[in-house]
Amino acid sequence: MRLTVQNINKSFGDKQILHDVSFEVVSGRAMGFLGRNGAGKSTTIRCLMDVFRQDSGQFLLDGQPFRPWWMRIGYLPEERGMYQKNEVLEQLVYFAMLRGASRAEAARSANHWVDYFGLGEFKKKKLETLSKGNQQKIQIAQSFLNEPDILILDEPFSGLDPVNAQIFKDTIADFVRQGKLVIFSSHQMGYVEEVCDDVTLIHEGRIILHGELDRIKREEGRDKLFLALTDGREGQQADALRAAFPGLQVQAVKEGLVLDTRGAQLTGPLLHWLAEQQLPIRRFGLYEPSLTDIFITKVGEAA
Amino acid sequence: MRDFLTVFRYEFKTQMFKRAAIITMLVIMAIMVAVTSLPRIIALFDKGDADSPLDNGISQAGYVQAEGQAQALLDRILGERARPYPDRDALVQALEDREVEVGFLLGEDLSYEVLYQDRPMDDRRDSLFADALAQYRREQLLMEHGLSQQDYAAIENSGLTGHTTVLGQNSMNNYMISLLMMILVYFMVLMYGSSVSSIIAREKDSRTMEILITSTRPTQLIIGKVAAAGLAALVQFGAIVLVTVLGFQLNKSTYPPELLMMVSGSLTPAYILTYAFFSFFGFVLYLFLYAALGSTVSKMEDLASATGLVQFLFIAAYILSTLAAQMPGSALAVTSSILPFTSIMVMPLRSAMITIPLWELLLAGALMLLFVAFFAFLSIRIYRWGSLNYGNKTKLRRIVQEALRREHR
Repeated sequence: MRLTVQNINKSFGDKQILHDVSFEVVSGRAMGFLGRNGAGKSTTIRCLMDVFRQDSGQFLLDGQPFRPWWMRIGYLPEERGMYQKNEVLEQLVYFAMLRGASRAEAARSANHWVDYFGLGEFKKKKLETLSKGNQQKIQIAQSFLNEPDILILDEPFSGLDPVNAQIFKDTIADFVRQGKLVIFSSHQMGYVEEVCDDVTLIHEGRIILHGELDRIKREEGRDKLFLALTDGREGQQADALRAAFPGLQVQAVKEGLVLDTRGAQLTGPLLHWLAEQQLPIRRFGLYEPSLTDIFITKVGEAA
Repeated sequence: MRDFLTVFRYEFKTQMFKRAAIITMLVIMAIMVAVTSLPRIIALFDKGDADSPLDNGISQAGYVQAEGQAQALLDRILGERARPYPDRDALVQALEDREVEVGFLLGEDLSYEVLYQDRPMDDRRDSLFADALAQYRREQLLMEHGLSQQDYAAIENSGLTGHTTVLGQNSMNNYMISLLMMILVYFMVLMYGSSVSSIIAREKDSRTMEILITSTRPTQLIIGKVAAAGLAALVQFGAIVLVTVLGFQLNKSTYPPELLMMVSGSLTPAYILTYAFFSFFGFVLYLFLYAALGSTVSKMEDLASATGLVQFLFIAAYILSTLAAQMPGSALAVTSSILPFTSIMVMPLRSAMITIPLWELLLAGALMLLFVAFFAFLSIRIYRWGSLNYGNKTKLRRIVQEALRREHR
């Protein structure tokens, strides 16, 4: 399956929130939808789910107009919520049936996911009696009901402890392996980096980066080298490097220096210089930026 | 249709097994059993020794001793149990000391005074005394004119025979029963209307709405919820009516004939049909209104103020119906029995009082169906609008304008 988001525009009153938002997601690859708070992630997802109607643009699934209620979709909204005063299993069965399952299928699916998240003992309990963390797990379980073909998860990791986050990551990875289409929005870069194959970065309602994560990392790291010293005094060498190599851009990062050669063949001369200076080198090699670095750089460029 | 049934079943189960609703229903059923059995219960405790001025005297009475004819009359009217006192002061003291509840002074010229310390609201002992004196006086006058009691009876009853035939509705018989039937609708609308609006407001408050509207269409959700509340109301109130009818049938033999005539006269097929149509569709109309208003709030605590308008409208309908019962043919009664928000109450009540022209019934019925359809549509749109709007309070007119825009299809 290929989901195409094509030139989506959306305004609330006089304020335009989305500007020609376009990207693609294919099944079998998880797509991380990134952006700062208020960038337009949830609005895009809500338009996709037909919670909001976009002003222009379209959503296509394999070239045909996308109708969420015709598909088996698992959706976890940003604003979590279920019936507080109703029993856990009963309402999960209800949601599964609303999404097209028969009663028997719905009961089987609801039981499976409640057990999967280790909440079997709470099936007959009212949701309000569960701890906040367990309520969160039940809400995540509802998005997996009926073995959906498409998973759309808005900020799924918020509020999860590391153990549950790992369970959740494994589940998403399973879905991806089964060839499902997975989109999840987040501003927690570590999770996205671990789970996603593709990323889309939205800033102030505009897509500023979209593509395969590894490729983006390679491109963003092109012409850049990384230097780390065992004594941690990289900062003291920055000016010396700039003086020795006038075209070199030196940027201090958390654990070393990023050296941007801007296309010049400086690897050999740099190695030679480092040897001459007899510096205690811990690491010297190609620079691969983290998603956080890319995010900060791209958002900074777009601002 | 499949989703409608899923929503309907879930909401119906929730409504039916709500603990508060079950307790309320059982309490009302117990009350109805007690009410319908009241004549039988009273008969069980009634030992047949009711005080009658001429048979057993007036209870808890005292009197100032008199002489001659006055004393004879006091003995006859008040009975043996009445306590004598020498003078008015002694009688007043006895009243203050609660020895007796009522005191009588009777002069030779049959002028009298009745004294109470505290007079109960429904006390009739003074008028019973006056009636007994009047009867005595009448007997005296008849004797003076040489007439017997039979002569007097013949004068009173001039020998004319006849009876009244009511071709249409007999307001005298119908008023009480139709008023009771109207109160039933009143409670149904208020109880289940509030229930529907609070279910929707709670879904919004708990943020469940987004999961629901991305799982199925708002039309299925709203119509499913309203149908479930409607059926729950019919089942629960139906059970109450059934218990009442059973209680009535079991205790029928102990009821006064006037009451039996009132019931059999009121519940004509035409009245039942009018009542069923306007009550049912009016109830559905109000449920849609409550559902729409429930969608407009973000927090449960705002619900009471949001539904205030519809409560006001419904209470106005109730008041208009009581006015219409007094003047069923007035312009106000006719108008309010045709307009759907008030016809739910006024039309059944009017139809119990007078014969309604067919054109009025048809017009009111058509308007009712039209309004139900329109407000069902509007409430679906407002529900859809409400699912996207949190926080800001918006005026109702603006909500309707926004909800009718294309994007809330």
